[in-house]
Amino acid sequence: MIQVTLWAVLAPLIGAVIAGIGGRAIGRVGAHRVTIVLVAISTILSIIAWYRIVVAGHPPIDHTLYLWGVVGDLEIPIGFLIDELSVTMMVIVTSVSLMVHIYTIGYMKDDPGYQRFFSYISLFTFAMLTLVMSNNFIQLFFGWEAVGVVSYLLIGFWFDRESAIRANLKAFLVNRVGDFGFLLGIACLLAFTGSLRYDEVFAMAPALQGQTISLPLTGGAEWSVLTVACLCLFIGAMGKSAQFPLHVWLPDSMEGPTPISALIHAATMVTAGIFMVARMSPLFELSETALSTMLIIGAITALFMGLLGLVQHDIKRVVAYSTLSQLGYMTTGLGASAYAASIFHLGTHAFFKALLFLGAGSVIIAMHHEQDMRRMGGLKRYMPITWITALIGTLALIGTPGFAGFFSKESLIEAVHHSQLPGSTFAWVCILAGVFVTALYSFRMYFLVFHGKERMDEHTRSHLRESPAVVTIPLIFLAIASLLAGGLFAESILYGTFFGQSMMVMPEHDVLGEMAPAWGGAGAMMLHSFVTAPFWLAVLGVVVAWYLWLHRPDLPARIAARFSSLHNLLIHKYHFDDLYENILTALGRRIGSGLWRVGDMRLIDGLLVNGSAFSVGRLAKVIRKIQSGFLYHYAFAMIIGLVLLVSFFVIVRL
Amino acid sequence: MNAVHSLWLSSLPALAEFFLLAAGCTILVIDAFLDKGREAITCRLSQLALVVTLALVVALFPDARITAFDGSFVSDVMGGLLKIFILLIVIVGLFYLQAYLDERGQARGEYFVLVLFGSLGMLVMVSAGSFLTLYLGLELLSLSLYALVALNRESPLACEAAMKYFVLGALASGILLYGISMIYGSTGRIDFAGVSSAIGDASSLSLITLLGLVFVVVGIAFKFGAVPFHMWVPDVYEGAPAPITMLIATAPKIAAFGMLIRALGEGLEFLFIDWMQMLTFLAIASLAIGNVVAIAQTNMKRMLAYSAIAHVGFIFIGLLTGTPGGKAASMFYVISYALMALGAFGMVIWLGRKDGVGEADRIDDLKGIIERNPWFALMMLFLMLSMAGVPPFVGFWAKLAVLSEAVDVGMTWLAVTAVIFSVIGLFYYLRVVGLMFFHAPERSAPIVAPNTVRLVLSINALAIVAFGFYPDLLMDICVRAFPGLMAGQ
Amino acid sequence: MFISFVFYTLAAVLVASAIMVISARNPVHCALFLVMAFFSSAGIWLLLEAEFLAIVLVLVYVGAVMVLFLFVVMMLDINLAPLREGFARYLPIGALVAAVVVIEIVLVIGASDIDLPAVGDIVYRDADYSNTKELGTLLYTVHLYAFELAAAILLVAIVAAIALTMRRRSGTKSQDPSRQVAVKREDRIRIVSMPSSSDPEHESSERRR
Repeated sequence: MIQVTLWAVLAPLIGAVIAGIGGRAIGRVGAHRVTIVLVAISTILSIIAWYRIVVAGHPPIDHTLYLWGVVGDLEIPIGFLIDELSVTMMVIVTSVSLMVHIYTIGYMKDDPGYQRFFSYISLFTFAMLTLVMSNNFIQLFFGWEAVGVVSYLLIGFWFDRESAIRANLKAFLVNRVGDFGFLLGIACLLAFTGSLRYDEVFAMAPALQGQTISLPLTGGAEWSVLTVACLCLFIGAMGKSAQFPLHVWLPDSMEGPTPISALIHAATMVTAGIFMVARMSPLFELSETALSTMLIIGAITALFMGLLGLVQHDIKRVVAYSTLSQLGYMTTGLGASAYAASIFHLGTHAFFKALLFLGAGSVIIAMHHEQDMRRMGGLKRYMPITWITALIGTLALIGTPGFAGFFSKESLIEAVHHSQLPGSTFAWVCILAGVFVTALYSFRMYFLVFHGKERMDEHTRSHLRESPAVVTIPLIFLAIASLLAGGLFAESILYGTFFGQSMMVMPEHDVLGEMAPAWGGAGAMMLHSFVTAPFWLAVLGVVVAWYLWLHRPDLPARIAARFSSLHNLLIHKYHFDDLYENILTALGRRIGSGLWRVGDMRLIDGLLVNGSAFSVGRLAKVIRKIQSGFLYHYAFAMIIGLVLLVSFFVIVRL
Repeated sequence: MNAVHSLWLSSLPALAEFFLLAAGCTILVIDAFLDKGREAITCRLSQLALVVTLALVVALFPDARITAFDGSFVSDVMGGLLKIFILLIVIVGLFYLQAYLDERGQARGEYFVLVLFGSLGMLVMVSAGSFLTLYLGLELLSLSLYALVALNRESPLACEAAMKYFVLGALASGILLYGISMIYGSTGRIDFAGVSSAIGDASSLSLITLLGLVFVVVGIAFKFGAVPFHMWVPDVYEGAPAPITMLIATAPKIAAFGMLIRALGEGLEFLFIDWMQMLTFLAIASLAIGNVVAIAQTNMKRMLAYSAIAHVGFIFIGLLTGTPGGKAASMFYVISYALMALGAFGMVIWLGRKDGVGEADRIDDLKGIIERNPWFALMMLFLMLSMAGVPPFVGFWAKLAVLSEAVDVGMTWLAVTAVIFSVIGLFYYLRVVGLMFFHAPERSAPIVAPNTVRLVLSINALAIVAFGFYPDLLMDICVRAFPGLMAGQ
Repeated sequence: MFISFVFYTLAAVLVASAIMVISARNPVHCALFLVMAFFSSAGIWLLLEAEFLAIVLVLVYVGAVMVLFLFVVMMLDINLAPLREGFARYLPIGALVAAVVVIEIVLVIGASDIDLPAVGDIVYRDADYSNTKELGTLLYTVHLYAFELAAAILLVAIVAAIALTMRRRSGTKSQDPSRQVAVKREDRIRIVSMPSSSDPEHESSERRR
């Protein structure tokens, strides 16, 4: 079993190395064949592992491969924790990755960086698997940073575009903020438990409950260790999963190629934060402060980021804001201790969001890399497969009964409703409103792209055709998953033994446990939904979207003019970018340039670098004089050394 | 009859050395009868002889300390382990040497025979039981190396290097011998155990012994190439043919480590405080000069020479803690350094091959290697990062082990100094990486090499990675060499 | 008392001739002073009743090595003047360092009032005591290992010396009788078929080729 999982991790790495180093030798076709075969192997092995753990009921494995190093008493292990949670993540990661690999053949067909791209996405798969399968914090952090690096590389994949460089820099910097918190959290746990292994840390967590630390800058107030650690870890999750207010990098990351947006910035990497919190549930459960924080942050993200999707014109950006909003849902679920529901939504979201992105990519290919929805419309005539699959994705996203998103989202909302934690009512209202918003922007996009007037120019129209099979086959597979993944697993995930003991919930927080008696099967849930608020809110959203953008396309502009201040607020993304740009970044720049002028130019450059270069130069000159090449100089230096040693160590003892 | 029999029995621990001596003589004779152009046979025979010697070392591996020849030969775990690594490195080095000479049409049987005798000298050094055998082993090694450097008479650079090496080496030998004679004079003993007990029994420390100690330390420091006895290192590294440089830079460092443990750790252990201070002085000077001057180099071999000087500083830091753990850390360091240097010089040799006669040893020759041969670039990246001490490569663990031992005995300031200088040193390793990956190549010809060299080089570089991920494999061995450690913990 | 007198005389001669070795102008004189230094040290060894070593020193170094050395010096006729140019320049600092070394050694020896307890007094033996035999016994028992190693070092020295000096120089003109005798007609003449025409243009182009 451990062999199976080991090779599941290593296969993509091997593929990445081959495609990266030998890319030129094996050519474009060789590169995609090698990486796809290896990722397929990884997928199959993941499914085998998943089958054994979840279906066949093998016990979870916590296996340390070897000790990488020992520093004092601290052991740094390399190992795997293979339980229900990690195998589920493995299956999601590898299967979406496989679809994206295949899709890339079509999408990147003419790109000069073809092999590089395959190498990157295989490397990403490796890093993500390391992250989810880790059994200790160091390896988790390694995976965490590795996916960040690949994400950085891929956002800036077209490094000759300035906007791409800006976007990847932004993603990198914002993630640094989160990673700093994450690292602090790990350090805090390490300081108080002395271990980096999950099992040891979790075992000691209850004992930490009473302990407090006093933080500087907080007036000497005593903080619970666990709250501090969990909040720090959650800051890390906020960075990676783009939660408010660290969300600003995700929309800009759409500068990367579309397969990447699907794989990294929708389906997998951004969910690493969600996964991490679920993995750390034995810690978060012990800190109600942290749970409440997650509830509120998640709810804000879910509602307000969704609103931004209403005013965007770039098709990928709309999907990106939708991703932000859905990540907010997951975070809210975590805050309500409904870890299983969150991970369930993570899984279904991975499929339908990847589907939507790849569908958007398919449209973009057909439109000759035109991404503005104002120049689309009526595409369903030209691209039937893309149209149908996108419709399925959209329906799944808004939570239409029967589709995958319905089960996860509906349960999640219900779980938050049941939660007794501070802030849960606010969160519930927010995410309920979010349902309406989701339906509104989703169908706005759908109608603008596939229905209505054909607004593209004549040249583009004449070239419109369905994308090739390598593009549509992944779409079809993902569409099937978006249809079925919900109903099939809803019962066992939410109320059954799907996740076994892999996530811990305290009895007083167990919202899913409270909901369990009301569960009457997937069909009953669908039937019941017709009398619940979310369904009617979604329907309302669809109808409004139809009215505004299909029936009366002139209305939106008038509404925008009428509520121009509100519209402006949305257009400017609540001024967060301006805030960061003009205040934080400007402040940083001011400090930076001050430091640069005084510290760098004068002190470091003048004194240290140039000074040291100067003195190294001087030193080198002196040494060159000694290192003259003349034998007797060398011999003389040796004698001098001897005399010095004798003088220092013998004569002083006289 | 009985006396002869007992002599035979008592010399059994030194069987490997005697076999190597006999094999060296035999191969010398065989080589004389081989036609020109058949030197590959001499090389393979030499490698075979070294493999058999290695097998004998392993077969006779001692469980505990054994002495022979009235204490002038010592066989113990540390000696056995050092011998194994020395022999392995020389066997690998011969692959490079043979390929290099073959390509340039300079192959001569004497190269391989001299390497055999040099290896014998190293084996004698690490299992020396008295100053006399230590000195003789050192001379055997040094003479072979001088001749190896000079053997290509067509190259004025090599002849100059050999001349410098020879004269300075003779001076250092003289100093060492002078120190030994002083210690002999004041203690009346020449074997390490006798010297040690004589110093331990003496009521007060004789200043003559101390003076002798200084001279012995100078002799050892010269062999290591520690500042200020390092002047020969850059010139010889640059002047000698690359595979000879490789042989000078790798295995003799391990032998010098053995020599230092034997002479200072066993013979002069009661003067620990004194030689510890001297090593501290040498270590700081080596770290400073090595790392700073390496930045200014434009020649790869010279840069590696200064890097070697800097690494010697680290090796000394482990030794001057005086604890068994420190010695084990130093041993770990010296072995991993020898492996890294083996790979790095292998790269220089490999890179230079296409040019035929000349050596591609300018740092600029590494420009854009990623485009000429990505595999080569990756291996070189591993080696450079490992030398710089970047995790997860073995060089990081070596530095970490040495520094943590230094901190444990309360020499935090020394550890901090070492870290500062190795951060300075990071620059020139990363410059090599930068040139390899981010500059356009000056030549576009692909790099070709015989499969053996390619294979050996790849295994070498991957071993650096493997030991980086499993440092305990090597560390456990080193800990075994110093049994006080296990008893102490 | 007499022994002390002889010792100090010999020591003075030894040091003086050693200084002359490095300062004399004529290389032949240098070599001869070195011979003198060897003789003096051989005399000191005789005082210690180490007859064998004294005789070996004279026989090997004076008899063989130095004669060879003189031979080379005379044959090559080295002009030492350019080598000595730096001598005056470096003399002050060299002398300073030498003085420091001497002072330090004197200080060390003076401080430890040199009785060398470990060695003990010199034991004076009878006339029939064989120093050579004692040496031989030690050499072939206690120091057998070192003895073998010394032999190996000599072997390396021989190999190195031969390998470094024995090389074929290109451009030397020497006759090899066996090759001269074994020469065949085909080695010396080459039959070329020439075109019969005497067309000057063709000929010139042929020549150009």
